[in-house]
Amino acid sequence: MKPELLDSVEWESVVQSIDGELGNGITRALLGDRTPIVITDGDLRNVYLIPISWSSIIIDAPPEGFEYHLVGKQLGVMTRDRFRLSLQVLPDLVKLTTRVLVVSQKAAEAFTYGRSILKESVVWIAEDLKRGQRVLVLNEDNECLGIAALSIDSEKLERLSGDKLVGKNLVDIGWFIRRLG
Amino acid sequence: MSNKELREKAKNIANEHGYLQYMIERYLALWGEHETMQFLEACERPIPTAIRINTLRAEQDIVISRLNKKGVTTEKIPWLDHGFYADFEGHSTPGAFLEHMLGYYYVQGVPSMTTVKILNPQPGETVFDLAAAPGGKTTHIAQHMKNEGMVVAIEQDRKRLASLESNILRCNATNTIVMRGDAKKIGELNIQPDRILLDAPCSGEGLLPIDPSRKTSKTIADVRYCATREDEMLDAAVSALAPGGTLVYSTCSIAPEENEYVVDTILRRHPEMTVSPISINFGSPGYPEPYGVSLHESLRLARRFLPHLHNTEGFFICKLTKEEDT
Repeated sequence: MKPELLDSVEWESVVQSIDGELGNGITRALLGDRTPIVITDGDLRNVYLIPISWSSIIIDAPPEGFEYHLVGKQLGVMTRDRFRLSLQVLPDLVKLTTRVLVVSQKAAEAFTYGRSILKESVVWIAEDLKRGQRVLVLNEDNECLGIAALSIDSEKLERLSGDKLVGKNLVDIGWFIRRLG
Repeated sequence: MSNKELREKAKNIANEHGYLQYMIERYLALWGEHETMQFLEACERPIPTAIRINTLRAEQDIVISRLNKKGVTTEKIPWLDHGFYADFEGHSTPGAFLEHMLGYYYVQGVPSMTTVKILNPQPGETVFDLAAAPGGKTTHIAQHMKNEGMVVAIEQDRKRLASLESNILRCNATNTIVMRGDAKKIGELNIQPDRILLDAPCSGEGLLPIDPSRKTSKTIADVRYCATREDEMLDAAVSALAPGGTLVYSTCSIAPEENEYVVDTILRRHPEMTVSPISINFGSPGYPEPYGVSLHESLRLARRFLPHLHNTEGFFICKLTKEEDT
């Protein structure tokens, strides 16, 4: 696996995906003074942000018998149908986006076990969020636990009964534990 | 004690404690009977759990306070800036805590944390971590470097790469490059690192308190095989290291064959390398004369962790420095 520079078309699609879901300018802020590169692994294209000074080292093919697996900061993964944000950048996003859903302590724990979010667990939700929208799921200490897809417009939340689904778990930090068994 | 007497005694002790005889013979030769029995008893006791607070994700005082509120008792490890003994008794595993998932701490052995403290990587440097999985030391190095500079983590085992990558993401090490490859061939990367950590794959003879199966799972031939591989890896690391650079060699084995013998061979082959003193106060000195074999006197400057003396797993750490003019 050899890192490649990301072409401008592909990078633009990443920007549209992140900014479209979490707000304009978010990708630019995540990028900072780094440059994006990609490592292809089968159908997955892993996007990393590296210091510009690394470019000359990284882009050269590694010696025979060596392959790159992770380089710098992982921004996310491009699959065939969409871009998925990396768990590594979630804490950065807390400071950058207002598209968040805060859940109770009990629900926070359940979320890290892969559960989705019910109305009764919602402590606070940002206004003007639409059904299907991606949101950061935070606990009451403002710590990001993962990402959910809203199953209802935020302004209609009050109409739901407590046991109804509000957010489908897309990814959560329990993955770090579940992945390793 | 004659050789015959030693073998007979070793056989009896080995049978009684469930060890292979060759292991006890070596312990008796190294330490004598009294200390050998202390060692065997210590290997039956659990090792205290230790954690490293990951300051790349959180402030130390806040994490400790949160854990204490959850009923986890903590005690600072004197020579480690971010290391704590942590008693999670009565709770689920340390890895299931929210603070762990958030990357606020890493469950890590005291000797492993100590290797990075001794390596002392600095922001802006280039550092190699060889045989890096599962990433405890890699993420600790990044933490020392405040995510500035470059850590090249090399791991050959494809399965173990998953844990290495997962821990790097969780702990937010952003100055790290993970490469799959053979650490014995790092010279081909054409990078001269300022520092190298080689915590070499070993026979695991220091892990007896954690893994009782080790009492019978490895023969002396296995130990010799590991020693050969360790020599090759250390040789490659020495060759790749920048002039004036620092190399820390460690294993979780108590076998002199995998430790002092390996370093002694390297010192003979590479006169540009010297064993450096370790300024931190922990453990006990290395063995310059194990089994009556005279090795380089400077091996006394290496350090050992031993279960019966330090209440940790067994471990060996040696700090080496390369001459400037090489």
